[in-house]
Amino acid sequence: MAGLKVVTAVRVLLRSLLIQGSWNYRTMQGAGLGFALVPILRWLYRGDEAGFAAALRRHTQFFNAHPYLSTVAIAALARMEAARASADHIDRFRRALVSPLGSLGDRLVWARWRPLSALAAILLFLMGAPWWVAVTFFLVTYNALHLGLRIWGLRVGWREGPEVGRALVGSPLRRLPDRLTIPLAIVSGALVPPLALAVGSSSGVGPLPILAVALALAAAGAWRPAGARRLAVLGLLVGLLIYITLAASVW
Amino acid sequence: MPILLCRVDDRLIHGQVVVGWGAALGIDYVAVVDDDLFDSEWEQDLYRAGLSETIEARFLNVDEAAVSMPQWSQSQERGFVLTRDVRTMRRLADVGALDDQEVNLGGLHDAPGRRRLLPYLFLADGDVAELRRLQRSGVRVSAQDVPSARRVELDELFEMRSG
Repeated sequence: MAGLKVVTAVRVLLRSLLIQGSWNYRTMQGAGLGFALVPILRWLYRGDEAGFAAALRRHTQFFNAHPYLSTVAIAALARMEAARASADHIDRFRRALVSPLGSLGDRLVWARWRPLSALAAILLFLMGAPWWVAVTFFLVTYNALHLGLRIWGLRVGWREGPEVGRALVGSPLRRLPDRLTIPLAIVSGALVPPLALAVGSSSGVGPLPILAVALALAAAGAWRPAGARRLAVLGLLVGLLIYITLAASVW
Repeated sequence: MPILLCRVDDRLIHGQVVVGWGAALGIDYVAVVDDDLFDSEWEQDLYRAGLSETIEARFLNVDEAAVSMPQWSQSQERGFVLTRDVRTMRRLADVGALDDQEVNLGGLHDAPGRRRLLPYLFLADGDVAELRRLQRSGVRVSAQDVPSARRVELDELFEMRSG
């Protein structure tokens, strides 16, 4: 982080945790973005109170991004402020960042990593781990990516500044959501038998009818030709079969 | 394969479009029709970064879209067309690119002069005039931000505005 003190970077990182603190439909994360930028702007505009106020006003307009990737925007905007880029360029850049940072984060975190780490923790619990092991497992795996993204964003944003788009296009993060589709489907599939066992024995129906229904649903879904979803359902079937084979060999 | 979604959304390629609509419908490409973006490579890079590598991002101006969109609707590919504002969508209708297509209003956010009709839809007088022109040219228009939300027809929106 050439030119940026570690202590400033850490303060910005901590402030970024509150980026949704005053979320609203008008400016969305606008106030949060300005709040997170304060330590850097104070440093860049030291001794220039009017310049600081104008910069803060620039960065409390409309903004929205995935909260974990907001640091990409925070750092890239700070870099543009450091280079004294024009207000127009900064404004256009900030608006253009909203969509990709939202889309990338939604696909990676909300649609893949959160369900994957939560389902894996539930699977762990259903396979006999104590509850606190499962909870700790979820919190650690989930937040490893969460905090990793925030720190990565700060670094890449500060390094690339207004050219950060090129770095995002080439980054492995773009491929990661697709790579997590099959693991997610397999974990979901593996969850079905222990759930069927639990539900079946408590309701008195027995696990077999519930397993049969789950398999039928998965098989029916696999026939719907919709690209990634079809792959996902096939993964679910594979997970189910692996689990049944394992369980059968133990029984 | 007709174009699956023609959407007006000032955020263009973003989460609701890619995760919400893209995953629900299954797509090969997302096309953004915007005269400014067409000339700006660094912005195209940013928007492209929001898509998975298996989905192609296409950037066109209105003139190119007039030629390309009718061809896409004859091909086997599945895709979306996005514009940033109602005016660009209306221009697409004028050049005949929206024949047999419906238009989805997915997100126009607060700006000076705009009035709130739905949490995700703020319209200025100019937008309403453009929507009426779209409707007169025979295009069906409705508002819906995500597939699971209720679809609000254009006439209902007009009633909300006058009410």
